[in-house]
Amino acid sequence: MTSAPGEKNADLVSRRRSLDEAAALPVLLYFTTGVVWLLVGTVLGLIASLKFDMPDWLSRVAPLTFGRVRPAHLNAVTYGWASLAGAGCLLWLVSRLCLVPVQLRKSLIASAALWNLGLIYGTGAILFGYSRGVEWLEYPLPAAGMIAAAFLLFAASILQTFRRRTVPHLYVSLWYAVAAVVWFPFLYVVANLPVYSGVTHAAVNWWYGHNALAVWFTPIGLALAYYFIPKVIGRPIYSYYLSLLGFWSFALFYNWNGIHHLVGGPVPTWLQTISIIASVLMVIPVMAVAVNHHLTTAGNFRYLRTSPTLRFTVVGAMCYTAVSFQGSLEALRDMQEVVHFTHYTIGHAHLGVYAFLTMILFGAMYYITPRVAKWNWPQPKLIKLHFWLTAAGIGIYVVAMCTGGVLQGYAMNDPARPFVEVIRLTRPWLGMRSVSGMMILAGHLVFAYLFAQMIYHTGPRRETAPWTEATPV
Amino acid sequence: MTIPPVVLLLVLVALCGAALALAAFVWAVRNGQLDPGGAGASVIFDEEEPAGAPTDQVFPARKEHALL
Repeated sequence: MTSAPGEKNADLVSRRRSLDEAAALPVLLYFTTGVVWLLVGTVLGLIASLKFDMPDWLSRVAPLTFGRVRPAHLNAVTYGWASLAGAGCLLWLVSRLCLVPVQLRKSLIASAALWNLGLIYGTGAILFGYSRGVEWLEYPLPAAGMIAAAFLLFAASILQTFRRRTVPHLYVSLWYAVAAVVWFPFLYVVANLPVYSGVTHAAVNWWYGHNALAVWFTPIGLALAYYFIPKVIGRPIYSYYLSLLGFWSFALFYNWNGIHHLVGGPVPTWLQTISIIASVLMVIPVMAVAVNHHLTTAGNFRYLRTSPTLRFTVVGAMCYTAVSFQGSLEALRDMQEVVHFTHYTIGHAHLGVYAFLTMILFGAMYYITPRVAKWNWPQPKLIKLHFWLTAAGIGIYVVAMCTGGVLQGYAMNDPARPFVEVIRLTRPWLGMRSVSGMMILAGHLVFAYLFAQMIYHTGPRRETAPWTEATPV
Repeated sequence: MTIPPVVLLLVLVALCGAALALAAFVWAVRNGQLDPGGAGASVIFDEEEPAGAPTDQVFPARKEHALL
């Protein structure tokens, strides 16, 4: 089906290349700083994990005590790594799907700078004891304000690119991408307002905490999966209609889920029940995505061997199905009785933000970076090493935390068992978690090394796809 | 019971958001974006990167156990 390089064909080539060139600087700014925050956040997470194995380690260094490194880890990986890398991917994707160069590029550079200043301020504030003490919203107001402003600049660019689109049809990824940049600024600003107290504050807190996943991180992951799985395989989505049904049911149900974090807590029971029902209804959009991605990939699994993007993206998409079903079950009261306040929740969180989102972000970056950095991944063997270290690492992590968490939950529900015995019970599982954390950190160092080679154009020069001087892709 | 003005404002903003979503949905239906059997799935392919041709083939495919 490859046509001779006629005139129209050359137009397409130069158009795609000009889109990549326009996107290059802002995308690489977001990617590069995102990778730095990935390393910072991973080290903070590993320190927090090791404290369960060695409680006295670093206990005299106030900024590195558990109560500070854990929230610093969460904020660095979510607002730093996942948000920055996700923003870079969305810029590239929206430009490509609208067939318009990225708009408002100067304000994007200001956005990336402001975003990173906010991250440095906020993460520093947490480490030095100035956290606001609300989960997911620990950053002090000035840092949150900087990130909100940076996000609005980013959203303005996406919306302007979208407004100038030259395509009549909005591809399903575009729905997710544009919805995310409309929803998230509202959510972030409202949740950060210093006007709540008491039970209302707890409700707003978890309305925010869950919706950060629902209206920002999940749409990014799904937008990328809906583009890269068919694009790499070279086969359209199995049921396009189902994908749109998935989007609209997702938009309808997901934002009600947050209060399931407070099941059994002091918020009104009807509010908890609504949230549980919405959590179970999430099965509909999740099935739509799972069925679609599976039937698109079915019969084409051989491309997992040849494409790093597909490998990471398919693992991420499978984990999306897993984490969502787990979440629907976890919201039920019977399940909450056992797993609330246990390590199970931590396993679930990492299955979502790491095994689903971060794996898909890696996949997308393997596709996008050569096109914007104009250099091919120099050492494919290191990509495989990165994949296996992170995939095995997060696999061990999730199994250890979920198993340990359930055992811990049943043990804590037994009034006859002394608390210290429950602590001892969890120790081997927490040790496994630290080992898996080291594997993940090693994987990230490999990825950062590869990424640096892309930025500086070093390492073995490879003339294979996607980046070639003579016949650009 | 008095409702604080900030709550009223937030409820108003939230209703505007819901109205926006509804408007987007009505627009999508009228515009034919949601038509079943539409060619929407194919818009990510073109002459240069056609359906049927995989992209991103970074790893060599010849080896027996290429997954590792």
